[in-house]
Amino acid sequence: MKYLPLILAGLWRKPARTIFTFLSIVVAFILFGILSAIEGGMARQMEAARLDRLLVDTKFGTNMPLTYLDRIAAIPGVTLVAPRQILVGYYQDPKAPFGMIMTDQRFWAVRPELNVTKEQIEALRRTRTGALVTVFSAKRFGWKVGQRVPIISNTVNKAGSHVWTFDILGIIDDTSRPGTGRYFVGNYDYVDQDRTTQKSTVDRILVRIKDPNRATQISRTIDRMFANSAAPTRTGSEKSDRLSGVRAIGDVGFFTRAVVAAVLFMLLFLTGNTMMQSVRERVPEFAVLKTLGYSDGGVLALVLAESVILCLLAAAAGLALAKLGIPRIGDISPDMGQLLLMPWSALLTGLGFGLAVSLASGLIPALRAKRLSIIQALASRP
Amino acid sequence: MTSLKQIAAVTLMSLRTIPGRMGSSLVVVIGMACAVGALVSILSMSAGFLRTMGNTGSPSRAIILSDGALGEWGSSVAHTQAAIIADMPGVRRDEAQKPVVSADYLGYTVVPKKSDGLDAYIDVRGVSAENPRLRPEIKLVSGRMFHPGQYEVIVGKSAQAQFDGLREGDRISLPEGDWLITGTFEANGNADESELITDASTLLSAMRTSTYKSMTVLLDSPAAFTRFKNAVTARPGPALEISRESDYYAEQSKSFDQFLRTIAYVVGGIMGLGATFGALNTMYSAVSARAREIATLRAIGFGGGAVVISVMTECFLFCLAGAAAGVAFAWALFNGYQHAMGGLVIRLAVTAELAVTGIGFALILGMVGGLFPALRAARMPVTDALRAT
Repeated sequence: MKYLPLILAGLWRKPARTIFTFLSIVVAFILFGILSAIEGGMARQMEAARLDRLLVDTKFGTNMPLTYLDRIAAIPGVTLVAPRQILVGYYQDPKAPFGMIMTDQRFWAVRPELNVTKEQIEALRRTRTGALVTVFSAKRFGWKVGQRVPIISNTVNKAGSHVWTFDILGIIDDTSRPGTGRYFVGNYDYVDQDRTTQKSTVDRILVRIKDPNRATQISRTIDRMFANSAAPTRTGSEKSDRLSGVRAIGDVGFFTRAVVAAVLFMLLFLTGNTMMQSVRERVPEFAVLKTLGYSDGGVLALVLAESVILCLLAAAAGLALAKLGIPRIGDISPDMGQLLLMPWSALLTGLGFGLAVSLASGLIPALRAKRLSIIQALASRP
Repeated sequence: MTSLKQIAAVTLMSLRTIPGRMGSSLVVVIGMACAVGALVSILSMSAGFLRTMGNTGSPSRAIILSDGALGEWGSSVAHTQAAIIADMPGVRRDEAQKPVVSADYLGYTVVPKKSDGLDAYIDVRGVSAENPRLRPEIKLVSGRMFHPGQYEVIVGKSAQAQFDGLREGDRISLPEGDWLITGTFEANGNADESELITDASTLLSAMRTSTYKSMTVLLDSPAAFTRFKNAVTARPGPALEISRESDYYAEQSKSFDQFLRTIAYVVGGIMGLGATFGALNTMYSAVSARAREIATLRAIGFGGGAVVISVMTECFLFCLAGAAAGVAFAWALFNGYQHAMGGLVIRLAVTAELAVTGIGFALILGMVGGLFPALRAARMPVTDALRAT
């Protein structure tokens, strides 16, 4: 502890240089924070995905007849099934299309993470044109309970129109990602009775099973059951579905690691150079310290400590800014916000990287300070 | 004239001293190389994506979707409508007076990716008999064309390179059993090259449906678009969305391209900021190391402007070297690299424009990193600097 003033004095010898180095490390660790938030956001999506929920999709893009539901429900190990038909449309702004889940009351049991009340389920069952929407969707479009909203959809209804009118009956939320889940749930009967094509079919069947370990086995049973029908299926757990969805964007993990590697590489040179310059300027000072009885190891430790303190303080500042700042991104752009989540563990990883960079970049200057001989160093004093 | 001579003299002099300051100069070069490398690498994805989409759309073709469809997948065009549209004015006819149009159906199937074995979707496009005249860029490079009425498909080169089980002679799982892959085609590396193509009627009946997804027509000339659009809009029947094909693909790629660009500039910008602090550091220390030399020059009559320019030039040179290294690195790693995004295979492209963007980016940062140290060098009081040890 008593050496702290000495270390700080060394760092503060050229304030401008220290500040610039500090700032570039801060900036680098803000970037590190953002990148780990991207990976964290993906991990959160994967966590929320369940192995005991199977998604039955159509293998070639043809809708599946409703009769599949009863046949799937009869498979041992299947506890619940629910139909789903997506209706794609937009509210006022054609540039902001969204999907409406058209289903029936069985849906709520398959998705228990939605906090819906018995009264809301009952109200939706009674109102053919009703809809329950999440907090996020209601806020996004400025909807209130009781409002009638016209949605322009790509599906034509029997009146020959693209306009589907819904009554907002209640606001729900997705407890696995409060405030950011985007659901719009309506009645399957409404869309099926009013559309002119693809009657009595669905584009997805949601299945809950008793034992998550049997997910693969039951998926195969379902796909085999319909393999030779007009609409073969492709079944997988929600988890595997999310996994391939995440992969579809590209290998995010590879991208973030590549950028982090580039940033650390840059920092290594940056701080290394700062420390090298600082040691070079202070050669006579180190000689004086050694004359006063400081050991070689002591001088080495002194230089390394400067490097470590500089890097760790800057890394901590950058990580703290990222941790505090990232949730604010959601206030500006909810789309981006829900993709980002910086885990606490990233702070530790970040500090670990900071420590590694500081030791690696401080080592050569520190060794130089350690090795310098008093006589030569003092003699070289200009 | 004398001032130009002064600038040249001072700049050359400062450049000659660079070898002595190699270590700290490298910091700027490496910092800029990292920032520009990251920026250009991510932008190469956007460039490849735009090239793929841009090659797909032609101004002399129009694509027709149902109203509010937002894309081919959400669209449906009835058989009867397709026949009416083909007869509209503005549609090119071939020697036999047949309209050059294709009513397309789009399905998909699942194939394993070569890279990780995970399943990915691939589009299967059913096209009309006139397709070779409509889309002449689709060229069979090996094997033979599919026979209409048979369960046969041809496969795009990009798709073949990216997914397993798509060689000629392989069979692929589609409705009504396994379909034979009879040939391979190229299409200027456009979006179609990520697809399987077959006969529309065969695909429709296998899928047990009768509505097409979209319709594409060849226009008499690019200028005939308005005439065609007005005629289709004026006809009775369900409303349709008519777009010039090139506009359609540009519109479809806009939001994803913006997403990529945002990421590129956020990541590149933050790294660039870090590199700029590094440059400030280096240039300030370069200026203070040369304080005496600069003061001497000023004392014998060199102007402040010449000093500023010499310091800036030095900084620009470092940034230029860094940017060149960054672009070269991105080019070596990613140019031509094939990457599957959803059903689309894109080839990353480090283009000349991107190289210019990267270098311009580095020079702007170099301006910031060099200007302040340069001003300090020029403002240094001559007497103090000369007296300093």
